[in-house]
Amino acid sequence: MTKAIEVERLVKRYTSFLRRGLFRHEKIVVEALKGVSFDVDYGEVFGLLGPNGAGKTTTVKILSTLLIPDEGEARVAGFDVVESPSMVRKHIGVTLTVEKGFFWKLTGRENLSYFGMLRGLKGLQLRRRVDELMKMLGLDSLGASDKFYEEYSLGMRARLSLARALLTDPPVLILDEPTLGLDPSSARYIRKLLLRFAREDGKAILLTTHNMFEAEVICDRVAIIDKGRIIAIGTVQELKKTVAGRAVINITASSPPIELKLLEAKFMETVTGEVSLRLDDQGKLRIRVVSKIGEEELHLSEVVKLLSSLGVRVNRVELEEPSLEDVFVALTRRRGSGVDQLDRRI
Amino acid sequence: MTSWIDVFRAQLFASVCWYRNNKWMIFSSFVWPYLMVGFLVGLGSLSGSIENYAERIGVSNPLFFLLSSTVIAMSSLLIVFSVTRFALENRWLGTLPYILLSPVRTTVIFIASGLPDAIITPTITVASIAPAALYLEGLAGGLKILAVLAIVLFGMMPLVGFSVLVGSALLFLKEESNIADVIAPLVLLVSGIYYPLGILPEVLQLIGLALPTTYVVEAAKLISAYLTPETHLLLTPVYVLTALTFGYNLVASLVIDKAERAVKRKGVL
Repeated sequence: MTKAIEVERLVKRYTSFLRRGLFRHEKIVVEALKGVSFDVDYGEVFGLLGPNGAGKTTTVKILSTLLIPDEGEARVAGFDVVESPSMVRKHIGVTLTVEKGFFWKLTGRENLSYFGMLRGLKGLQLRRRVDELMKMLGLDSLGASDKFYEEYSLGMRARLSLARALLTDPPVLILDEPTLGLDPSSARYIRKLLLRFAREDGKAILLTTHNMFEAEVICDRVAIIDKGRIIAIGTVQELKKTVAGRAVINITASSPPIELKLLEAKFMETVTGEVSLRLDDQGKLRIRVVSKIGEEELHLSEVVKLLSSLGVRVNRVELEEPSLEDVFVALTRRRGSGVDQLDRRI
Repeated sequence: MTSWIDVFRAQLFASVCWYRNNKWMIFSSFVWPYLMVGFLVGLGSLSGSIENYAERIGVSNPLFFLLSSTVIAMSSLLIVFSVTRFALENRWLGTLPYILLSPVRTTVIFIASGLPDAIITPTITVASIAPAALYLEGLAGGLKILAVLAIVLFGMMPLVGFSVLVGSALLFLKEESNIADVIAPLVLLVSGIYYPLGILPEVLQLIGLALPTTYVVEAAKLISAYLTPETHLLLTPVYVLTALTFGYNLVASLVIDKAERAVKRKGVL
């Protein structure tokens, strides 16, 4: 059986012009993809992780036939994305952004019917499919089916986006950050559905995400992409082994007196371990330090020293095994991408 | 198998839903031609009487002529808008990639998506002025207005190709401002809708001769100004429109495939 998605040495360059004067422009070529290769099986959830500008969306757009690569090959459901774009489109469901992409003055049902017609559905078959999807995605129970799209919450919009991708029940789903910005319950609902599509219906799902927790929970395999290259690929457990011999220290502390960005800068200067910071819902500071085994004590003392100099009180210290996020930070840091590009909503 | 009919049907459905959900839009579409004619008559009366205008243009019923000219003007504008804006507006809404994911050729999507609005808008405009036409010229006025609608709909065929060309160019150039807003009034100016083409500078007259709207205007004027226009006079614009339909749509279908590849290489979508 052929793979659902096969990508071989994809290269994509974007050309832009930088204004250097009134009539002078400098041509700039940015290599968004530098030989990306991976494959996805039917029944598999495959995650593409990477910081902003890593090349995730470019890959998704190429696989959706919305972008033509400069080099390399990509096949979806056995069809070449450049040679047979119509056949590829027949076999895929796509979401690019969840917050827009529908007509504001049309209801959810009308929007879905419109996109269904564009994909060749008609009559009773269309009406049944739209009703079925409204129920499946929970839009019916939320009373959103006949609401104008402009009145939709972000969670409803994400559900409608997924419904559109499923209109023709395609065997391959290509989803660009399908849960971005969603509240935890909506995000959990979408994840549950995606797992069901892969496990029960045998669909191949390629999703891009910033959300390490999401990738850890639903992806069978993940690829970490950075600066246009895949720097690691495998199951979550396999990737975790790449940071074996590391320890993770979780510290909870009182609210800092300075802005998080400034605090991050201070941590970068003083603490030698890999640190990520965030403020939780109560405004408490959450610090995560990834250290090599044997260096935990040193890093902990550096953190405590810095916090006490700022008048921040340490409430709790915990040790745990590295997560996918730690793998991601470790790998992208080695390449100089920096933790500042990480999604801190996790 | 998805075909142009599916795309046409989808866009027709979306347009009907849009009008149904925006009832004020239908109301304003009905009122607009009267406001336009009122404005023109008011402005014209500053420089002379309506009888003078009728004499200069050579029509028997100047009010009726202005109304039918407004229908032509508005319909031509809206046709150009509906097709040229299709790509831009859908890009702004974020719907363009999903529309282009329909498993049919992009040329088919662009042309078939523009057609429903190109039919609906002139029909609404004609329906709005039908009562005035009946009042001014009786049954003959109603028939003339229907004939004007027929010629406008026929004339829109080359306009679709023309607008697809403009729309593709805007998409490729990554131009976010709506050039259609600038192009449409210019199209009206050089088409001789309210004033004869002959009074324009020679360059503009030449541009006018290449535009389908010029012939739509000419044919519609013949119909609206005279009760039974001489057939041979009407045939000339019809022939030219047919030729332009082939010309513009052929060029559009040749260009758009190349434009699509260029756009997809550039990463505009």
